Amino acid sequence: MSNATLPAGARDPGYPTERENYLTNSSGILSWMFTLDHKRIGMMYLIGVVSAFAIGGLLALAIRLHLLKPDGLLFTGAEGNNIYNQVFTLHGAIMVFLFIIPSIPAALGNFLVPVMLGAKDVGFPRLNLSSFYLWVFGALFFVSALFSSGLDTGWTFYTPYSTTTDTSVILATLGAFILGFSSIFTGLNFIVTINTMRPPGMTWFKMPLFLWATYATSIIQVLATPVLGITLLLLIAERTMHIGIFDPEFNGDPVTYQHFFWFYSHPAVYIMILPAFGIISELISVHSHKHIFGYRFIAYSSIAIALLGFLVWGHHMFTAGMSSLTTIVFSALTFTVSVPSAIKVFNWLATMYRGSISLTTPMCYAISFIFLFTIGGLTGLFLGTLATDLHLHDTYFVVAHFHYVMVGGTLIAFLGGVFHWWPKMVGKLYNETHGRIASLLVFLGFNGTFLPQFVLGSRGMPRRYATYDPEFAFLHQLSTFGALLLGIGLLYAFIVLMVSLAKGRRAPANPWGGVTLEWQCTSPPPYYNFERPPVVGDPYDFHNLEWDAENERYVMTEPERKLVPESTPDEVPAHAGGQE
Amino acid sequence: MFPAIESLAMTFPTLLADKNADFWFPIQGSSFAEEVDWVYDLILYISLAFFVPMMVFMVWCLFKYIKARGTKAESQLSHHTTLELTWSIGPSVLLVWMFVQGSISFLDMRSPPEGSYDIGLQAFKWGWTMDYGNGTFHPELHIVKDEPTKLSMRSTDVIHSVFIPAFRVKKDVVPGRYNYMWFKPTIASEQISAEQLAKLKKQNEGTTWDYDKVHTIETEDGEKEVQVTPEGYTFFDLYCAEYCGTNHSEMQTVVVVHETQADLDAWIKANSSRGEVSMEEWGELLYGRRGCSGCHSVDGSKLVGPTFKDVYGSQHGLTTGENQIVDENYVRESILAPKAKVVAGYQPVMPSYKGQLSDDDIASIIAYLKSISANAPSQPAAAQAEPEAESAE
Repeated sequence: MSNATLPAGARDPGYPTERENYLTNSSGILSWMFTLDHKRIGMMYLIGVVSAFAIGGLLALAIRLHLLKPDGLLFTGAEGNNIYNQVFTLHGAIMVFLFIIPSIPAALGNFLVPVMLGAKDVGFPRLNLSSFYLWVFGALFFVSALFSSGLDTGWTFYTPYSTTTDTSVILATLGAFILGFSSIFTGLNFIVTINTMRPPGMTWFKMPLFLWATYATSIIQVLATPVLGITLLLLIAERTMHIGIFDPEFNGDPVTYQHFFWFYSHPAVYIMILPAFGIISELISVHSHKHIFGYRFIAYSSIAIALLGFLVWGHHMFTAGMSSLTTIVFSALTFTVSVPSAIKVFNWLATMYRGSISLTTPMCYAISFIFLFTIGGLTGLFLGTLATDLHLHDTYFVVAHFHYVMVGGTLIAFLGGVFHWWPKMVGKLYNETHGRIASLLVFLGFNGTFLPQFVLGSRGMPRRYATYDPEFAFLHQLSTFGALLLGIGLLYAFIVLMVSLAKGRRAPANPWGGVTLEWQCTSPPPYYNFERPPVVGDPYDFHNLEWDAENERYVMTEPERKLVPESTPDEVPAHAGGQE
Repeated sequence: MFPAIESLAMTFPTLLADKNADFWFPIQGSSFAEEVDWVYDLILYISLAFFVPMMVFMVWCLFKYIKARGTKAESQLSHHTTLELTWSIGPSVLLVWMFVQGSISFLDMRSPPEGSYDIGLQAFKWGWTMDYGNGTFHPELHIVKDEPTKLSMRSTDVIHSVFIPAFRVKKDVVPGRYNYMWFKPTIASEQISAEQLAKLKKQNEGTTWDYDKVHTIETEDGEKEVQVTPEGYTFFDLYCAEYCGTNHSEMQTVVVVHETQADLDAWIKANSSRGEVSMEEWGELLYGRRGCSGCHSVDGSKLVGPTFKDVYGSQHGLTTGENQIVDENYVRESILAPKAKVVAGYQPVMPSYKGQLSDDDIASIIAYLKSISANAPSQPAAAQAEPEAESAE
């Protein structure tokens, strides 16, 4: 590489040679299947969750096409309603268990956590690989449920419907049970990694916010997922042995199941959205080239959300007949979670103020995220407020609300993250113009799909309906056209990334101007992540970053250093990325 | 509501196919509706008061601070504690207000006044039965205007949920326990005249009555579009809101609000027993009304339960392996104790109708089954005196 245009003292790891990056340092299918490298495991997860998303997305399109007509368009005939019920159940179950929960933590998190931390790998590489295979195994159970006698309980498996229906409930719940273990292992691994493998200088408050978000997520994964496991086992026991916990026919109480289920599944919502917050914090800061505003507030709010998230499960049961006092307490607790979420949005906006904004594809997704997540969050207020929730509960308003949070939030952040770190992961740059057009299509399509659903819901359209009253037809049609546009946008984005693999320019180490540690290694990173120990500093200090116009990349100039304290060891320990 | 949105809504007439609704809500049919809509609107305005400035600020930043690549940011300010505390604590005050307001209204909705008119509601896959007392059951909910009404609700199988959008109320119906809800309707249903109803009946002869169909009737002031019950009442929709399986989306009924208690009493009386109608006709009516049609077809197609077509007098294989001739006693047993002898290939899911159907009702259903069965020993129109001959077999 030419250093002619570089400022004095610039450091840049340059480009990796053919054999020194993690993709090429060994080859063959077995070198991937038995890899212990967190980056390869992350990439395998990425392929897995994107495949799951494709299946779930096609099912979603089928749902929307069916709802073009009040009496149903796609699934007609005697079995029509049953097929529709199975389609929406599988859409929900696949998206929740196979895509949204593992997407950011398992795919992006696996790739990024050690690199951003400045470590060689995660704490337990073998556990990491086993969690991937558990995911595959659990996914196979789900798919086999699809091919045996389907599943028509909704992704929530509410009793006593799930204990009496003759579809493959046991296969699917076993699948979810196994996926739960995968999730626990991932969370455990990240907690250990972040606690023990930070290199010298990487204090808690020098950690990038994505790591804070991952840490908070991992706490939920480890603490809440076992409850889901127990619940699903009890459900299977109820179905096979009639133990009488959930089924009123055997003196059980169906609402007990709902308490158990949401005690996991509400925190799980934060497993889905917290990592997204982390990504957006990185994206907004890097593409505004400005220090993140209110670092500590954002970090603390992640932990606050993780803890408060355990206290609000009851808001899924406002209409189930809990006592009035319980209901009111859960409503109050629900409102407390909205404060830390709002803090984050204000901080992101303040970060953009007086920045130097580059409207790159990841930034387009970050802006979409703020827009969509704010709508998702504000519409949550209608559902947390008891009087309005009674009307809106189990209507399309709820459908729209959680899609704004889960799709508008998590999926958009996931896409933003993938586009942001794509050059790092594969070493190729994609076409920016096409990337931006795709993000615009996704944004428009998404709003077209779900904005009409808020109106549908407040006008009284219940969810999970295979057919509906004709007065709702127009809004349903709007929604379906939006969904088609969204589908086109997502496919477009996928093609942009695939084309970059074949035709993309070689990516420099730091294409966007990030200061976190992953930008200090080559793109793609070498097998042990760093050729030489990374220099740990404030992850959002952009002072020493210079633009190298000739090579279209950012380089770090030598930061002002304080004198090295005498106690610092001469050799950098292996866990900090030094060579043994 | 916003004038801009309203005018937009006017340009999409199809959007407002439900004539009684505004852009956001169904008609306000109960005393709760106004309060719920008011809370909804206030949350909406507060949300917009936050959302719009935030998005304007974001877009303004985008235009103002987009810089060429490599340009340094104008500021690297990393925090401002006062500002952050302000925007953390400020909105919390509004949240507390929302919570309090929502809870006050909620407590009203949870406390039925003393002496409310009590109607029993039973939910099953996939229909509703309202119990008006004295053995009168009907799938439609009939109530009186301005009269606090309490529903005592139970389910015979899975969780259902009663949702009346016009009343802004919803409550799950959980098997194994009673749930209650109450409301006070404020708008009475209209009833079209007998001639108009006769005309509509004639137009729709030979088909089952479609509640959703919009009929055009002529009145003194010109034409009018209405949706009416088979008795000519306009109505509010009642949906099942908790997913309950195959026909969840068809588990709907209607709410008819009578002007006075006397009207309602007259209606109950008219529906309390068979009266002058023939047994077959009454049986057919009960078949539609009491939820049989949700699971048992009359055209031979297989639903959740065996079809009723040609069922009377045929042979059924039971899950126990035995065979059973479908006769009066078997039909009666299947209605009162459905799980005793289940037909092979079907699940024991039917609820018992014990105490809900009078002897005359059951006899009428049997008569109806005979009338649609080619296996019945004799055609009902041909001979009325056959029953003795059958029971002698």
